Amino acid sequence: MAAAGSVRAALQVAEVLETVVSCCLGPEGRQVLCTKPTGEVLLSRDGGRLLKALHLEHPIARMMVACVSSHLRKTGDGAKTFIIFLCHLLRELHAITDKEKDSFFSENIQTHGRHWKKCCQWKFISQALLTFQTQILDYVMDHYLGRHFLSIFSSSTKERPLCRSSLEMLLGAYFCGRVGRNNHNFVSQLMCEYFFKCTACESGFEEVLELVDDCFVELKVGVTGLPVSDSRIIAGLVLTRDFSVYCPADGDIRIVIVIETIQPLFSTFGSEFILNSEAQFQTSQFWITERTKAIMKYLQKQNVKLLLSTVKQPDLVIYCAGLNGISVVECLSSEELSLIQRVTGLAPFVVPQASSQYELSNTAMVKFCKPFILRSKRYVHLGLISTCSFTPHCIVLCGPVQGLVEQHEVALHGAFKMLRQLFKDLDLNYVTQASDHNCTSSPVIYKNSRESNDLPEIVNGSIQRPYQDTVVKNKDELAKTQTYLEAYSNLVVPSVELETNTLCSTPTVTLTDTYQTDATLRCFSPDKARIMDDHEPFIESNSANSTTEYTRREISYENLQVTKNARKGSMLPVRHKSLEMCTSQSYCFSSVPAGCVLPVGGNFEILLHYYLLSYAKKCQRSEEIMVSMIIANALLGVPKILYKSKKGNYSFPQIYIRALHSLQTNQPMISNQTGLESVAGKYQLLTSVLQCLRNILTIDSVINIKRQPQEIYDQDSEEEL
Amino acid sequence: MSRLEAKKPSFCRSEPLTSERVRATLSVLKGIATSCYGPAGRLKQLHNGLGGSVCTTSQSAALLANLPVTHPILKILTTSVQNHVSCFSDGGLFTAILCCNLVENVQRIGLTPTTVIKLNKQLLSLCTSYLKSEACGCRIPVNFSSTQILLCLVRSILTSKPACMLTTKEVDHISALILRAFLLTIPENAQDHIILGKSIIVPLKHQRVIDSTVLPGILIEISEVQLMKILPIKKSDSFKVALFCVSLSGDLSDTGEGNVVVSYGVSLESAVLDQLLNLGRQLVSDHVDLVLCQKVIHPSLKQFLRTHHVIAVDRVGVAVMEPLSKVTGTRPIGSLDSISPSSYGSVKELCTAKFGFKHFFHLIPNETAVCSLLLCNRNDTAWDELKLTCQTALHALQLTIKEPCVLLGGGCTETHLAAYIRHKTRSEPEGILRDDGCTQTELQLIAEAFCSALESLAGSLEHDGGEILTDGKYGHFWSVQADSPSVVNWPDLLSRCGCGLYSSQEELSWSFLRSARLPFVPQTCFPCEASDSAGNLTLDCFTAKLSGLQVAVETANLILDLSYVIEDKN
Repeated sequence: MAAAGSVRAALQVAEVLETVVSCCLGPEGRQVLCTKPTGEVLLSRDGGRLLKALHLEHPIARMMVACVSSHLRKTGDGAKTFIIFLCHLLRELHAITDKEKDSFFSENIQTHGRHWKKCCQWKFISQALLTFQTQILDYVMDHYLGRHFLSIFSSSTKERPLCRSSLEMLLGAYFCGRVGRNNHNFVSQLMCEYFFKCTACESGFEEVLELVDDCFVELKVGVTGLPVSDSRIIAGLVLTRDFSVYCPADGDIRIVIVIETIQPLFSTFGSEFILNSEAQFQTSQFWITERTKAIMKYLQKQNVKLLLSTVKQPDLVIYCAGLNGISVVECLSSEELSLIQRVTGLAPFVVPQASSQYELSNTAMVKFCKPFILRSKRYVHLGLISTCSFTPHCIVLCGPVQGLVEQHEVALHGAFKMLRQLFKDLDLNYVTQASDHNCTSSPVIYKNSRESNDLPEIVNGSIQRPYQDTVVKNKDELAKTQTYLEAYSNLVVPSVELETNTLCSTPTVTLTDTYQTDATLRCFSPDKARIMDDHEPFIESNSANSTTEYTRREISYENLQVTKNARKGSMLPVRHKSLEMCTSQSYCFSSVPAGCVLPVGGNFEILLHYYLLSYAKKCQRSEEIMVSMIIANALLGVPKILYKSKKGNYSFPQIYIRALHSLQTNQPMISNQTGLESVAGKYQLLTSVLQCLRNILTIDSVINIKRQPQEIYDQDSEEEL
Repeated sequence: MSRLEAKKPSFCRSEPLTSERVRATLSVLKGIATSCYGPAGRLKQLHNGLGGSVCTTSQSAALLANLPVTHPILKILTTSVQNHVSCFSDGGLFTAILCCNLVENVQRIGLTPTTVIKLNKQLLSLCTSYLKSEACGCRIPVNFSSTQILLCLVRSILTSKPACMLTTKEVDHISALILRAFLLTIPENAQDHIILGKSIIVPLKHQRVIDSTVLPGILIEISEVQLMKILPIKKSDSFKVALFCVSLSGDLSDTGEGNVVVSYGVSLESAVLDQLLNLGRQLVSDHVDLVLCQKVIHPSLKQFLRTHHVIAVDRVGVAVMEPLSKVTGTRPIGSLDSISPSSYGSVKELCTAKFGFKHFFHLIPNETAVCSLLLCNRNDTAWDELKLTCQTALHALQLTIKEPCVLLGGGCTETHLAAYIRHKTRSEPEGILRDDGCTQTELQLIAEAFCSALESLAGSLEHDGGEILTDGKYGHFWSVQADSPSVVNWPDLLSRCGCGLYSSQEELSWSFLRSARLPFVPQTCFPCEASDSAGNLTLDCFTAKLSGLQVAVETANLILDLSYVIEDKN
């Protein structure tokens, strides 16, 4: 029942998982063959997929797998690194607790039960981890690591032009870890080419990524039996079915989409059709035929050449279409329909009720529409004309076996997910010490903010700083502030969002003695709505009594930040998005800008390791030092495995020493690797692992239940209610 | 209520290739494939203890489809071969044996998979670029003005499938038929973009092979009873044809999701029948001579049409609908009411024919790109084998038209390629080792493994204990009978090389394939007349073999790259 040493048990589990996933890690990684219960075989190097395929029984292992998959849902990358990093963290923790057992806890071993004592210790560590995650990590990321970041954009202007070679390097590194080593170059080039072909204009790549990520299944065609090198990119959209009727057409081809049968039916759902005589039956059939013909004729008159239908059309419709020179494609899936609609912005054609004279509005143009033969199977090939920034292209993926084709598909899809993540900003929130001049420069009114030497208090997660002797200089300035605030008072933030924001970003500020020495404590959480609440009482009180003394205790420093932003004329309503807003290091609310990358090969890990160690040296609190050391050491696990097979100058100790040396002497780090990887992905991975570790540490015992799981049944009954 | 059941944990094995069981099963599969390979290959009788027919075959398509494979690694191999066969029809055994040989040879060396895979890929690209280049010594361009090479290609395919049980005379007959059938599918007025027609294989079992024949147009099988009802066909230049894809049986079509209430006394059957007879009247007034229907024609309508001298054939099935509409130029009709005159088509001639015990209705079109290949063989399993072989040959011809060249067969391509690789890796290893990380020794080792895989593939053509030689000039394949004296004058024992291009008249410095030889530059020059005069060349389809080579190496790389096997036991 109770797992006596949960760290030890977790370590054992993690080590087993590590041996499985580490064989697939990095460019030297190998493939794993999975069989499905149906007998299909699947090749994979995808950590998440492997972990799922194992169907683990051990409770802690299952928890780890659950953590990994929730991380993957977010980022789509890093499952293998997750396990390796977690394993190393557990190893470090285990080593430390073993050591401390002798020294620290030996004296009161009689007073407490051994188990309870351990639990307390883990609780303590997990607290420290939380502190680390919320404060130190972001601080180190922003202050030290930031200067090493490279950008995928070739210049940092507003248009952010993508640098092709950087993207190639990024994708190359990504596919190195995902597909077999004889194919990764080819697949990554294919993907790169695809991406640039699909992106019509420089700026619209985010939209393209979103669309490709959402509709990737419809944008690829898998073909088995051909060598991988036959994979290619095709302009236009390929639908994996044949024409029901095909009439060759040139020039401008108009298409319509229908989502119901064109031929009228005797009765629709919920209605009744009463037949009283044979003649009535015959006339109604005649009418149906005539009506169908009329509609098809009408479509032909409107120059429609292609009919895309989501349902199966009756023989009569197909026949009439053929007579009128209209090609028909039937049984489109809803995903294909939505893709076509997203690309062309075309609404479904509504069968007109009365005799139709008016112009048909819901049509789109295609450049061509022809059969496409792949491996003696016929497909429909459409040259859609796009109305968005996505130029439709398809990837034909070939491979000798289905398992390999599927692996490439998954890897490509994952790559699009990864790129999507990369082009998002990553917010960093942390508590830090600001220097004086920054404070004076930012607030206009509260010139004397440096005089406030009070210690910050922690009340309900947000820091409220008492201003006992805040002096408002004169009324003019006050009025000025007021206008700023009014400019922002129409800002509406949904309260729900606000609550979640405050929940997730509650910083637990622990006091250190360094705070006493200088300056102010600032904390920024993205709950701007709260600030807006604060404005009005603040202004009212000011205007009511224009005294110089103002002792309102509710104002937090966020106000200052807002007024400052207002003065700058920035139009960012809810969140600070780009780094330009917060270029100065002293801002606590910062972000990793979109498109930040670092060279692969454990660069991120070694950098973070180095800076965490140097932070730990400066730090005075023992648990912070301990946690930083643990994490710093564990970080080296990944590069150790990456360079395992390398010898001589490229072995891990050599690389490590060289990196440390260049960091100490402030030289640029020279990497022998050509790939790049996303910083945001690494950061998210780190936080996910720490979260998982906290979960493991806070469990004190595992209770084994031997009963049929009832989850599904419960859920069903709830839904019924 | 669905019951939620806890899944059983999977079974995970590391380094699957090192296990003895995997090696044993791989070598069993290799044994099966090798023994089937080539014209002298042994047949396999596949027999299911639970029932079903017994299948005698030596073709990979039939063999692998029936072979139950349990181990995941073998499954990868067999599915990859099957996928190749479904794409190219030919070269399945070639792919399977080469892949097994590669895996086996590379394992013996014991280099790391990374190096092996990298070098295998380099060697493969060396092979493909050589085979695609003009200088290639084992490639013959196809001259479409003579049928010689195409006939050789078809004959090579036929002879390499011994389970068809054909005599030499029958091979000649069938290969001529196949070639004629193929030529009939080429449209007469070819534009720049050719769309090939179709040859439909019509089964005629339990007949002599010599009775097989090719007819232009389409044969529709009809029963004797139906034949009796068909009136003598009047002579005419052209016959008007209507082809229906909608059922003419008088069933009510889809009435929608709601209810249809029929009042008492209203007979929908008669209403529909009226409609059908109206249709019949229209067909008669449009002077249609032949009505074909994919589905069923109502007996009354049939009777009506017969009385008006219109031939009606129903239940032709969906498979022939497309060729029918192509041959006759009709548009399949999906309406019961008015028919547009443009939907009718025509055929040049109509007749009934009897082949064996079967009666056929024969449609001869004006302009033909569709033909029927009546295929006879003595028993079911030999017929199945012959049909597969014919399809393979037809497919190979189609591929040859796309890529107008053929490769030398009979093992000569393999030995020649091996000689070329040996020479290349010795003479310019730097060119192959462009990217870093591999040493020349590693390259030599892998190249030797690769070449010996190719050579032992060629060697598996010999099943009767004979010796295999290769010459030191062209690098071709020569085989000697088993009971030949040991030290002799080679030219007396040898007659022609495997593909039949060279005779033993020349002094070619033969040596045993298994013995160590010095690398040499394989000659690429052909005797000029070879491609024209040599009547009995053994040839292989270029596209199929090239792709087979690529798939074999890719699959071998895939198998060598496996570090774990996770088996889901649920």
